[in-house]
Amino acid sequence: MMCGWAKEQIAASWMYTSGSGELEPGDQAKLRHHLAECAECAEEMAQLTGMWERLADLPAPEPGLGLQLRWEATLESLGGAPGGKRRTPEAWRFSLAALWPQRPVWQAGIALACLVVGLAVGGRWQGSAKSEIAALREEVANTKEMVALSLLREQSPSERLRGVDYSARMPRIEPEVVTALIRAVNQDTSVNVRLAAIDALSRASGQPQVRRSLEQALDRQESPTVQAALIGYLVETRDQQALGALRQFSKRPDLEATIRERAGRATQQLTEFK
Amino acid sequence: MHSDHELMVAVSRGDIQAMSELYQRRHRSVFRFFFRLTGRQAVSEDLVHDVFVRMLRYRQTYNAGDSFDAWMYRIARNALADQARKHRLETPAEAHAIETVESDRPDPFDMYAKQQDLALLHRAIRELPDDKRELIVLSRFQGLSYEQIGQIVGAETGTVKVRVFRAMKEMSGIYAGLLREKAL
Repeated sequence: MMCGWAKEQIAASWMYTSGSGELEPGDQAKLRHHLAECAECAEEMAQLTGMWERLADLPAPEPGLGLQLRWEATLESLGGAPGGKRRTPEAWRFSLAALWPQRPVWQAGIALACLVVGLAVGGRWQGSAKSEIAALREEVANTKEMVALSLLREQSPSERLRGVDYSARMPRIEPEVVTALIRAVNQDTSVNVRLAAIDALSRASGQPQVRRSLEQALDRQESPTVQAALIGYLVETRDQQALGALRQFSKRPDLEATIRERAGRATQQLTEFK
Repeated sequence: MHSDHELMVAVSRGDIQAMSELYQRRHRSVFRFFFRLTGRQAVSEDLVHDVFVRMLRYRQTYNAGDSFDAWMYRIARNALADQARKHRLETPAEAHAIETVESDRPDPFDMYAKQQDLALLHRAIRELPDDKRELIVLSRFQGLSYEQIGQIVGAETGTVKVRVFRAMKEMSGIYAGLLREKAL
């Protein structure tokens, strides 16, 4: 009977240590007394309270940057964005109608003027359109690059995976992104991110420095899955210079048998490409 | 400085901009609630968005006598239940939250040991049944009182205390099992 009451009080005491103070002073003394007499409850109290306190050490996850933007867009569409004032569709219709002249002569005049201005602007625009589109594309690419780089620096592996995915979808991989992807292959704590980065770098395998970096990365990997992916990558590049790295790698004593076999086969394949 | 309750009352009376302030204050804690329950970043973000949209949609159901937290978490639980019905949630094997544990102690061995311990704790929480995990998340991480949790899950305060105790005990058992597994 008393043990049942004590369990409630033990749970209340956790809130007490958390600062919400759910344990009455009277109950506190009564609980202390019970714990002094009941070894089982005392042990549970010590064990579970320790765990309760350690839970505070678990890091607090953070939402991604996109969530805030998404919310602002939603709120804006509802007319609630900070500083914004909602206008109903009727209000817009009313204000536009007020600008339109009632006399047909004026209406025809405006239509003609619009046509002339349109032709003039169109003629000019055509000449500069190509360069403007190129500039816009460049700007979009730069933005994508920034997003990819910033996602690759995120703490959450799923965000970093998104960063890799983003970089894989860019029209071309910029040197900064290549560096970030190589860093991910070498240092990322998530195997999934490392695998995705290797895959993304296959688009840059024409660059000798990328191939060299991934050759060097092979020897640093502990995960057999990543090792296998890197071996596959090196075979696909058909780069004879990778032979040295593969031979060196095959000598590692800690390799799994299947990986050693795969590395041997890759060495043979590369030799045959000669 | 308005309280969350006052802001929500303003929202319920048509002041949509007050929702912006509420979002700034609460979206992180709602995100953590979902993340600790689902372990998935993208799903949790979608759910946060859903919760605040629902709060707007159902703003007129907010009662001036309600506790804002209880109302918000009831909406959050409904959103999660609907999500689970639509897509069966997978239990993630990866421990997102434990990969970047920061410690004041620079000793690498201590840091490694702490990280390992947190990884086990994280796994122990993940292996709890959903209802028990929810109680631990609400009481330990969301900073809610047992009374508020009672309002959210529809139980007496005393019952909540006992359930939290049992959930902690079950988690402790799982944790001990994981420790033994690791030692073998």
